[in-house]
Amino acid sequence: METGNKLQRNAFALAVISGCVLIILLAQFKVINLYIQSVIMFMGINIMISTSLNLVNGNMGEFSCGHAAFLCVGAYVSSITSVLIMAPNDITGAPFLPPELAVLVFPISVFVGGVVAALAGILVALPSFKTRGDYLAIITIAVNYMVISGIENLSVVGGPRGFMGMKKVVKSMYELADIPWMMIFVALGTIFCVLIIRRYVSSTYGKGVNAICQDEIAAEIMSVNTNKVKLVTFMLSSGLCGMAGGLFAHVVGYVNPQSFNILKSTEAMVMVYLGGMGSLSGAVISAVFFTFLLELLRPLQILKWVIIPFTLVLLMQFRPEGIMGNKELTDVFPKLRKYCRFK
Amino acid sequence: MNPLLEIDNLRVKYGNIEALHGVSFTVEDGEIVTLIGANGAGKSTTLMSIARLPPPEAPKVISGDIRHKGVSLLNMAPDKVVANLHMALVPEGRHIFGNLTVEENLKLATYARKGDSVPDIQRDYDQVYALFPRLAERRRQQSESLSGGEQQMLAVGRALMSKCSIIMLDEPSMGLAPALMYDMFRTLKQLNEEGMTILLVEQNANLALKFAHRGYVLDTGEIVAQGTSQELMADPEVKKAYLGA
Repeated sequence: METGNKLQRNAFALAVISGCVLIILLAQFKVINLYIQSVIMFMGINIMISTSLNLVNGNMGEFSCGHAAFLCVGAYVSSITSVLIMAPNDITGAPFLPPELAVLVFPISVFVGGVVAALAGILVALPSFKTRGDYLAIITIAVNYMVISGIENLSVVGGPRGFMGMKKVVKSMYELADIPWMMIFVALGTIFCVLIIRRYVSSTYGKGVNAICQDEIAAEIMSVNTNKVKLVTFMLSSGLCGMAGGLFAHVVGYVNPQSFNILKSTEAMVMVYLGGMGSLSGAVISAVFFTFLLELLRPLQILKWVIIPFTLVLLMQFRPEGIMGNKELTDVFPKLRKYCRFK
Repeated sequence: MNPLLEIDNLRVKYGNIEALHGVSFTVEDGEIVTLIGANGAGKSTTLMSIARLPPPEAPKVISGDIRHKGVSLLNMAPDKVVANLHMALVPEGRHIFGNLTVEENLKLATYARKGDSVPDIQRDYDQVYALFPRLAERRRQQSESLSGGEQQMLAVGRALMSKCSIIMLDEPSMGLAPALMYDMFRTLKQLNEEGMTILLVEQNANLALKFAHRGYVLDTGEIVAQGTSQELMADPEVKKAYLGA
């Protein structure tokens, strides 16, 4: 489809990038306050969570309801990595590297968190070779509990009290240069995550993911190695979620096992179902909308957990396919095709 | 010289129930061989075992062997059977990907052909569309919106796109109007004349025997008769039980 020139075809990407730059500039010149900044960062993190879960629940048609487990693994591993290397702590004493290098170490630690979370994804991928549907859902819940209980019982990382020290790493980045570092990293992480998933799903290899969702037998006879595709997809999904966890831990500056319990997994699922199964743009839109809704309902305090599930009930009654169904933005607004290449 | 496909005393079971009690037959290169038999005789089971589909949907082999040119494929993964041995199964009930378009379904079938060049694959698309012009007309249509016959064409077309040299068909006539059914068999015959080996499972024994070179009659997991199509059609037992004459 050779419509329009190169600039026009990439207009959507340019718009996204300039939007990110604009937000970062607004943050830099203190036009938006810290509260709004943190909401925007949570939007980015939630986009990563919902798009990565959408890969498994939407595109592959499995039912994973323990996504927070990978968020937890990523958050802990990247926090521990960055704190061990960059901040004074009880285990290794003085920091290994001077604080000026925090800007380099931080993205690496987030990446390490993602890699370890991807390995944790094998815990779910292996049982998925033989089971699917409800049974796999139970396994994913079990994995979620295993991870939380495991960390609660590890007193080295604080046990149930949680783990902290990331604030120091973040602070040394701000001391190096007073620009909104976290905002930049969250924006980079979000764009990275969405791009990787988009490439994966639209590749020929990724068509195998769709094939598994539709009909596993047919996928087998089309020579899709279903076990391998499942393994790769679960690992990619949990790895990207782990990176989101690493960013989350550093934005908040403190992690606690109970913040990754089944409620967090449910939030991730709500975002996927709200957006529409298998729709990448739906997952992005719903993550933005959901974060916004959470903040809007904050004054209601605990009552918001009555209202948000209730919206889910309404959603399932009146629009069970979610905001976008399984369509992408370019399917709903074909004119957009001129401005971005989707496939 | 080893036969192209040799099934040797195959016994398989679903859970605890044995479905095939020692089935043996061979398929030579370039032949059309048909397995006929009543419901529950084990015809589809045999094809699923050969395609190496995993349990629980497919049966588990307990003893016996399946050999391709003398090499056992019992320890082979289903994707390798398609990719390396070029054996494609057109399953009963078609199993097409309903939410993909016709073109995407065919594209998925090229999954096994990593090393092939784009012109090669394009030529095969053209060939499939030439064989089934109806598919060409509907190439951008969601395949779940196709009629039953068109879906069956798509299922066969998909097998062809995986560059198979042996095609195993499970009840290709199911749910087809007679005219479409004859069309389908004519196309398959044409493919066979171009060198395709065909293993056909069919309820409609009359049609299958007219079409095939040789046949085997399966009854409750055992082969009870075999021979060339003419021999089988002349066999009084087979006539009485399966040909309704």
